[in-house]
Amino acid sequence: MIKSKRDKLFFLSLTPFAISLLSILLLLVYVLFLKSIESLSAYGLALFTKTIWDPENGVYGVLGPILGTIVTSLISITTSLVFSIPLTITIAEYLKGYLKKIVSSIVEFMGGLPTIVYAVWASRYLVPLLKSYVMDPLHASLSFIPLFSCRPTTGYSIFAAGIALGISTVPYVTSIVLEAYENIPVIYREACYGVGSTKYEAIKILLSLSRPAIVAAVILGFARSLGETTIVVVTIGNSMTLTPCLFAPSYTVSALVASQFANAFLYRYAESVLYVSMLITTLFSILLSLYASKLIIEWRSRIVV
Amino acid sequence: MYNWRRIRDNLFKIIVLSLAVLALTPLFHLIVVVFINGLSTLLEAGWNFFVDLPPTPLSQRLGGVAPSLVGTFLLTLTSLPVTIALSLFTAILVTEFPKSRVSLVVDTIAKSLASVPTIAVSMVVFSLAITIVNSVPGIRVYLSPAGSALLGSFALIIVALPFSYTYFSTFLRSVPFTYKEAAYSLGMSRWAVIMRVVIQVVKKSMLVAVLMTMARIMGETAALLFTAGRYRSGVPTSILGPVDAIPLLIFDYILSPFEVWHRVAWGVTLILLLFYMLIFFIVKIGVKEVKLT
Repeated sequence: MIKSKRDKLFFLSLTPFAISLLSILLLLVYVLFLKSIESLSAYGLALFTKTIWDPENGVYGVLGPILGTIVTSLISITTSLVFSIPLTITIAEYLKGYLKKIVSSIVEFMGGLPTIVYAVWASRYLVPLLKSYVMDPLHASLSFIPLFSCRPTTGYSIFAAGIALGISTVPYVTSIVLEAYENIPVIYREACYGVGSTKYEAIKILLSLSRPAIVAAVILGFARSLGETTIVVVTIGNSMTLTPCLFAPSYTVSALVASQFANAFLYRYAESVLYVSMLITTLFSILLSLYASKLIIEWRSRIVV
Repeated sequence: MYNWRRIRDNLFKIIVLSLAVLALTPLFHLIVVVFINGLSTLLEAGWNFFVDLPPTPLSQRLGGVAPSLVGTFLLTLTSLPVTIALSLFTAILVTEFPKSRVSLVVDTIAKSLASVPTIAVSMVVFSLAITIVNSVPGIRVYLSPAGSALLGSFALIIVALPFSYTYFSTFLRSVPFTYKEAAYSLGMSRWAVIMRVVIQVVKKSMLVAVLMTMARIMGETAALLFTAGRYRSGVPTSILGPVDAIPLLIFDYILSPFEVWHRVAWGVTLILLLFYMLIFFIVKIGVKEVKLT
């Protein structure tokens, strides 16, 4: 690829920029790791089997926040999938011309909206709304299921955080699925209509063709929800508990960090425990998104020739 | 048989369309409530909202948000140029040598960076600052571990880098090779081709990338939590001192139990939303996409 001497010089003059990107990433992971060692060597795996935050006595366990992060992200990705797929189909199949442009611009607008705006809206309007129209009825009728067993007191809970997060990730998931869906070569669509299928049947086949891309979008949306802070902190209720119930206030790793990090330097190990839980979240998030982008690339080379 | 298929088709259409409408409802509800609550604050506070200091929790007056506005301005001013420079040159490298191993690695790094939680960036920058202050004597004057615009910008750069890199590399890749071929055949050097042809062809898209990166930087909250310093008792004058930012103020005030702070938070949220809308409309209406074939 690199042929002449001047080309080589050009290439070399730009590599510092690439190296700076690499060193930032390495630095981030390295510092997280370095700060984690202290508490990992002090507590070991016991850190992940308990749910307790007692800096005065030096007892920590972050099982609750870690499970809270996973459950919140699962609710989030389910919510956004329920809305993203219909939104994708609407934009790709049912809208044309100006209307299509407007709706896809609205989705783009939602995607770039600062998360703090969603957070304000969710904490003041969405949570009370969810409490009186979703959580209370679910608790009243289905309280024998452990997930809905506790009475929603304030409404600030894992459930509320998951839904709020899901709404904010709808545009992200939609953009990934839509890009994949619209990249399916037209011959597949022609083949569907050629054998006389209705629009519904054609969409069903096209969606099944883009299934790996949808799976990738789900993983990417999940990974993004893992680290999201602002929306979660204002909706989850911030409490160090471990319950099977979705309507109880809880923590995610990032919410725990946001509310405890400022005072953590006062206690030995407290800061380091926060770094451990953040290191796990970060690594998990990076690995998931790399895997998902690999899925998309593979899918593209198979379907979109 | 035919009827059932037609009914199913229509049923599907109704379900899909109504779910799509439901998906967009939150946005409209959000815009409406931010405007209603925000306008009531802005109208009551008047112009003083832009020049006064924030109110005390039990104050009767609404005060203003001057420190946060100036803080966000300072943070954007210091972090945007560095972000743009770093990501643009990296994107040029990757698009000029698409088959080299470097570009594959850079792409992977950008993807990984984008998935690092922004609050993790904030923690790391904070602890780096502490380490540097503790090990280099006399640097405390320049690097306050309690937070400063400089530290905040550093965190913002890390957060915005992968974002603007993705924009730049997408746009640069969209330039068809025939343009470059023509330029090379005239005997132009690589740099000249990039500066005079490639960048010129996607000039407007470059502006989109810069504006969207700016919107990202202005709206970022978590990266500033432990790095900016939340200085609200005056208007910041130096980038070495602690500053406040619009998203930080909203975040703290909406979590507080005080009514007057909630009202201020709504007012600032409206300002942030209007900023974002302005940028978005410039991007969508002002910058018409160039069709390349």
